[in-house]
Amino acid sequence: MTSMLETRGLGRVFGALRAVADVNLTVTVGELRAVIGPNGAGKTTLFHLISGLLPPTSGRVVFRGEDVTALGAAARCRRGISRTFQITSIFPELSVLENVRIAVQLKGRGNFRLLGGKAVLEATERRARASLDFLGLLTRAAEPAATLPHGDQRLLEIAMAVAQEPDLLLLDEPTQGLSPEDTAATVAVIRQIARERRLTIVLVEHDMDVVFDLADRISVLHFGQLIAEGTPDEIRANAEVQKAYLGGVE
Amino acid sequence: MGTLRGRRVTRLLGSLTVVVLAVLPWVLARHQLSLLTDLLIFGLFALSLDLILGYTGMVSFGHAAYFGLGAYGSALTLIHFGQPIPVALLAGAALAGLVAAPVGWFSTRATGIYFAMLTLAFAQLLYTVAYKWRDLTGGSDGIAGVPKTALYWGGPSLASPRAFYFVVAVVLVVSFVLCRALARSPFGRALQAIRENERRFIALGRDPRPLKLLVFIVAAVFAGLAGALFAPFRGFASPEVMFWVLSGQGLMMVITGGIGTLVGPIVGAMVFILVQEILSTYTEHWMIFTGLIFVLMVIFLPGGLVGTARRLVSRA
Amino acid sequence: MSLILEQLLNALALAGLLFLVSAGLSLVFGILRVVNFAHGVFYMLGAYLGFTTVAVTGWFWPSLLIVPPVVGLVGALLEASTLRFIYRRLPIYQLLLTFGLALILEESIRVLYGPTAKGVEPPPLLQGAISLGGLLYPRYRLFLVVLGLVVGAAVWLILTRTRAGLVVRAVAQNAEMADCLGADVARVRTLVFGAACALAGLGGVAAAPMTTAYLGMGIGVIVDAFVVVVIGGLGSIPGSMAGSLIVGAAQTWGAFYLPETAMVIMYAVMGLILIFRPWGLFGEEE
Repeated sequence: MTSMLETRGLGRVFGALRAVADVNLTVTVGELRAVIGPNGAGKTTLFHLISGLLPPTSGRVVFRGEDVTALGAAARCRRGISRTFQITSIFPELSVLENVRIAVQLKGRGNFRLLGGKAVLEATERRARASLDFLGLLTRAAEPAATLPHGDQRLLEIAMAVAQEPDLLLLDEPTQGLSPEDTAATVAVIRQIARERRLTIVLVEHDMDVVFDLADRISVLHFGQLIAEGTPDEIRANAEVQKAYLGGVE
Repeated sequence: MGTLRGRRVTRLLGSLTVVVLAVLPWVLARHQLSLLTDLLIFGLFALSLDLILGYTGMVSFGHAAYFGLGAYGSALTLIHFGQPIPVALLAGAALAGLVAAPVGWFSTRATGIYFAMLTLAFAQLLYTVAYKWRDLTGGSDGIAGVPKTALYWGGPSLASPRAFYFVVAVVLVVSFVLCRALARSPFGRALQAIRENERRFIALGRDPRPLKLLVFIVAAVFAGLAGALFAPFRGFASPEVMFWVLSGQGLMMVITGGIGTLVGPIVGAMVFILVQEILSTYTEHWMIFTGLIFVLMVIFLPGGLVGTARRLVSRA
Repeated sequence: MSLILEQLLNALALAGLLFLVSAGLSLVFGILRVVNFAHGVFYMLGAYLGFTTVAVTGWFWPSLLIVPPVVGLVGALLEASTLRFIYRRLPIYQLLLTFGLALILEESIRVLYGPTAKGVEPPPLLQGAISLGGLLYPRYRLFLVVLGLVVGAAVWLILTRTRAGLVVRAVAQNAEMADCLGADVARVRTLVFGAACALAGLGGVAAAPMTTAYLGMGIGVIVDAFVVVVIGGLGSIPGSMAGSLIVGAAQTWGAFYLPETAMVIMYAVMGLILIFRPWGLFGEEE
């Protein structure tokens, strides 16, 4: 098994709008791939197609050698794809700890336990605490997630995804709306995750500094199509990419 | 309520409540005891509704249907078969659960307002059946003369107010303990996550529907249990107990007490019925006032009584 | 042949009434994103006020003109004094609020009019039957068919051809944006709510001579209206028309061929839609 993720001719049409068109992507195991492109290029739609929230209108998604196109988001998550969302999507009234603990519980078994299940709760809580610790959120474990500042909420999303111990991690604009300090902290966390957990990560980002800092390879989307793919240096020098961004990538 | 002090306080309050409940029958006058029994029965009804409303975030406008099914199930068992009370309770609860299964399967395919109206539509359907099937249900007259039988075959009669009160109180306390255990279990935790963000729940790896269906059935069973107690207690079962007004009152009880607190809805039910009792001595149109109070509560006190009290306590 | 025509007209008459009620429900959801549980009670209010107007003036026609605005006003006042404050809350609170309002209104009507049903005489012009190529058909039902079509066309034209309609649709699409562009969003909401209630009230006035004004007509119609709206799509007027026709037809033919199961047929259609196309025939996939 050489590739973690492969999309073949993946496309999604909304009425007259082609949001994603004929995307062929191959991500190898352990790679950190960034997907970039101007606004409206279809990056988030692509993520929805890969994670299973949206069925494609054409093409296939192959995960770890298995064709998962017919599977929904829940099934794909259990197969090993975890993601974060562009607009923070957490469980607002539940505590920070519970947010991550639930993520662990839902991936595992024992969800139908009506009575008993104390062991399940304790085990999942332990793993959740470890994940929070890793992300530096342990001190806020008992607070309702909604009271966290924006930057910490983005980190919480990452904690939830990482706690599920996925094979493929999809991060949708993890630094969106963050201050420069928070951005640097998040980048450090992502780098640490990539190194220590040996995950395959696909990242959608607008912040070019972050992209060039982290990515092994970059894929560029424009009007739903893949217009370029390569190492950061190759992309930086690519004329098509510069044209798409109106004014250069730098 | 995670702090150690919080847990001790809760345990103290709980024990106190049990003691008070045990002692009251000798303190209260007969009609007061009757009222208390009524309060406890509807407390159980509200408790069951909190499971789907408070914990899972499912608004049901048809929950009274299961109360009614429980009442009819128990009434028929007692009148036609003369079984002891526990058998009647089982029959009522089982009937409610059996009907809730297909209705729930259907309804949970929808969410939000669609779900709410589906539950209403099904409840109206059941109400119409109860109204029209004269041979079985007695039609609009209902079934009268439902007896309070015995505790078990050949066992002591439960006809005295005190004896029946104890049955109701025990059922309520046991149900409360069970519901609380459920709410704290992995299942209960998953329900709350569904309530908070269903889309996120799916993206984390589970289909919420089977869980929603299961809690729907469980809630119906407990509502049916309450109805099954109602029939012998009041001595009758009629279509009114399935009517949408009772469903709405159930929602009011839960909101008044505090969604998602389990205790709150029981308190809310008691407050609601007491207020109704008091208002009805002043005017026969007390429903307008309860509606008004409810509207004001929704606007100003969304956390309900217990919810607001907890907030105030945690601030102090 | 005449049987088919009779059935068809019955279905259309019923569809007309259903449309009057469900169009309002659909509008309120499309624009306010609130399901007005009290909507059925406004229909009932219209019927009872129609009864009063006829009793006071001795004429039927004035009630068609007087009652809907009155009902609309009641609705607008209620919206402005209660619903307005909780738009930002979770939908469940809005649902519960309109439910509380429904209870208050229903009980108030019971206080004012008592528990017995009130009959309303149709005007002399619409009494009796008219001959349609061999079929003797009640004039009043024909009137309902015409009324449904006329009102449907009027609502559609207002929404799509007038400036006011444009503002309403803008608020429905994106309230914040409309607000920035100068639309008084709060007022639009109150107006739409009032208009929807007025439509329901009109439905009630029109229904009274056929069904009498009775307590419980509120809850009956809202379930029907909801089925219509689910089938047609919440927020779509053409959807309400289509849904009304389908439900009207199902109930009419069901009542004729399988009397006890008319309701079940309706729920079955609704169930199928919810399984295969939950956003309705004309609704938007979310």
